[in-house]
Amino acid sequence: MECFAMEREAVDKFLEEGARERPAEEREFSEVYYRRRKSISAEPKICAGCRICEVVCSLRHEGAVDLERSRIFVKPNPFKGLFVPIVCHQCPDAPCYFACPESAIEIEGTLGAVLINEEKCTGCRLCGEACPFNVIRFREETSKAFKCDLCQGDPECVKWCPMNALGITEFGGEASK
Amino acid sequence: MKTEYGWTGRILRADLTARRWWVEPTERYAQRFIGGIGIGLKIFWDEMRPDIGALDPENRLIFAPGPLTGTLAPGSGRFELISKSPRSYPKETVTRSGMGGFWGPELKYAGYDALIVQGRADTWVTLWIHDDTVEFRNARNYVGEDTYATQIGLGKELGSRTRILCIGPAGENLSRLAAIISETSFASGRSGFGAVMGSKRLKAIAVRGTGPLKVFDPGRLVEISRRARELSEMNPMREWTTRALSLRDQKDFFDKYRRKNTGCFSCPVQCFAFLDVPGAGRSAAHCTNYYYHSQATQYYGQSVERDQAVADGYILANRYGLDTFEFCYMVDFLRELYEAGHIKAQKEIPLDKIGSREFIQKLLENIALRRGIGDLLAEGCARAADKIRDGWKFAAEYFPAHGSATHGKMRGYPEIALMWALDSRDPFIDHHAYLKLGITDLTRPKPYTLSPEHARAVARKVFGSERAIDHSTFEYKPEAIAYAQNRAAVINLLVICDWIYPIFTSQAKKDWTGDTALESRLLAAVTGNALSEAELNRVGERVWNLARAIMVREGRTRDQDTLHESYFRTNNGGEAVCLQDFEEAKTGYYQLRGWAEETGRPTRDRLDQLELADIANDLEREGLLG
Repeated sequence: MECFAMEREAVDKFLEEGARERPAEEREFSEVYYRRRKSISAEPKICAGCRICEVVCSLRHEGAVDLERSRIFVKPNPFKGLFVPIVCHQCPDAPCYFACPESAIEIEGTLGAVLINEEKCTGCRLCGEACPFNVIRFREETSKAFKCDLCQGDPECVKWCPMNALGITEFGGEASK
Repeated sequence: MKTEYGWTGRILRADLTARRWWVEPTERYAQRFIGGIGIGLKIFWDEMRPDIGALDPENRLIFAPGPLTGTLAPGSGRFELISKSPRSYPKETVTRSGMGGFWGPELKYAGYDALIVQGRADTWVTLWIHDDTVEFRNARNYVGEDTYATQIGLGKELGSRTRILCIGPAGENLSRLAAIISETSFASGRSGFGAVMGSKRLKAIAVRGTGPLKVFDPGRLVEISRRARELSEMNPMREWTTRALSLRDQKDFFDKYRRKNTGCFSCPVQCFAFLDVPGAGRSAAHCTNYYYHSQATQYYGQSVERDQAVADGYILANRYGLDTFEFCYMVDFLRELYEAGHIKAQKEIPLDKIGSREFIQKLLENIALRRGIGDLLAEGCARAADKIRDGWKFAAEYFPAHGSATHGKMRGYPEIALMWALDSRDPFIDHHAYLKLGITDLTRPKPYTLSPEHARAVARKVFGSERAIDHSTFEYKPEAIAYAQNRAAVINLLVICDWIYPIFTSQAKKDWTGDTALESRLLAAVTGNALSEAELNRVGERVWNLARAIMVREGRTRDQDTLHESYFRTNNGGEAVCLQDFEEAKTGYYQLRGWAEETGRPTRDRLDQLELADIANDLEREGLLG
């Protein structure tokens, strides 16, 4: 976290200048990179693979138990006892944000969450190609993109994880879990 | 009953003889029987003549999740299997055997409330269910492979998110001990359904489901699940299965090799431990998987080899597809027979080396492959005891009834003795929640059970009398058992885990009171059918009566509702079950159930009250009505 602490000044400066008011297409890389942000952290070493995170995520966002359309998913390898929760890291450099030709991806001010505006999305899937973790999923019918929105700062998956394998990490501020 | 939410509305039926599959509506079963064993038993009633054998092609093997399976409800990862069991003794009977893991939810996401398998394929096949498509794939390459290799191979072929269950060599060779295995150690073992799958030449069933499961009121489901989760917080079961604090060795073993805790779908308890024992292998493990420890300790003392021998015991059983529960008692049984000189050591099964790695490896291998005396043991201890001189003298204590290995103490615990006698298999597998109520042992220390005062208070609330947990008498036991059986049926038709439900007691609460209405509220939130707790118990009673009707049609009589006769005598300081009190309690139980006292057959009055008039008509036609 040290590198981020060193850049605290830069972050504060951008926040002061009211980065959140500026339209997405005008934002610069450094402005995005040094933003204050939260992300979900996952610990595969203790993940039990129960998929509760997927269930609560889909219930909240889709109103049904729909694990193919949850924003977090667990890659299972039961024979090695390895379960890897794949989460959106809300990357500092946000490759999906810069890949979107339609400015349909926005960066939310307070959480620093990378959000997809499904109305603007045309379904070109360029964000999916840019994503290093492959966490952006697409609607079958429209091929519009959707991804983790951090549940307005209080992610359901983190609240429900029975093993405490999921947590929230804050960058550019106090780190907490 | 609305079936729009929670259920998918379709039951998949696969006929292996004709290699055809089709879909049937769930609605006609769900109305009265909801799901799980309810649906399974009704299908048996409608379709199976009682003379069909467990390994005949006509036998049905039914995989039945319920409306709560695959939802957020804590412990909703299970499904029930219903079939005629090759393990049941002395006669094969229709019974149930549940299984946890991830396969059941996946079947629901693929769009099916149940899968019925019937017929026999001409060559070995794998059933591949991918949403709306079903394929019969050639399984030639997997014949003879163990369960891990089969699943890893199929996973590569069909995708890593495919959920698979399969049988190992034991199932292929129709061992009555054969289990159906999913992942490393999720198993349906106790009823020997692996042999049923083997008899159908069905090596594996792979499922991939990508569909949504509609929930009536997601907000309410989240709220009630949260409450259930809070109440089952500090659930002692995680400790019980992998630490069993009373067994020092077991705790040390699990703590030493535990990589992490793991478990079933959507479960906050996660009661399995994933163990990595160097030199033996990796697998998730559970309480019974530790069966070989005392023999191995005698042989090796406290050493790494001892730990490897214990690990061989469960890993090889899982790989060959054998039921570990039987081995908890089989090894002792064999040792006693060997020491008494009734069986001899042989190349296939070196009985002179009980406790060694070589012994357990050869025992499991040769039972799975039916070599040497393994051929006899593959029939199960109960059937083997018939063929061995004085076999039952040694087997009786370990196999009290129905060919099931003992589970829960019967001597000194009248309610457990009754439960065993009245079921078609080891009943205790549906009653783990009662452990928490202290119905098994009030003297056990925390954290397993609550204090005697709290236990009495909870018993008053739940059973209506604190006599229900007084182990010195059969008084009030029929009432307690009937209630427990109805609740067990409810759990098995929803389908949720009996390690969590019913939540009688909660360590998270000061006064230890749980909430027994959670099942009905979960059902209402998921499906929109607002049944009260009492109404749901009534459905449980209905299903229990249907199960009884099936037993009666198979020839069950009052005489067979019993334990092995040796239990009515003292043995090695073990208290005898009082035969007279036992029989009186049975009569009381039949009266309570509304069954004929002389025969134990259901009567028309009670069946009509339970909306089972059609079952009563069928029974009457066959002259089997009480």
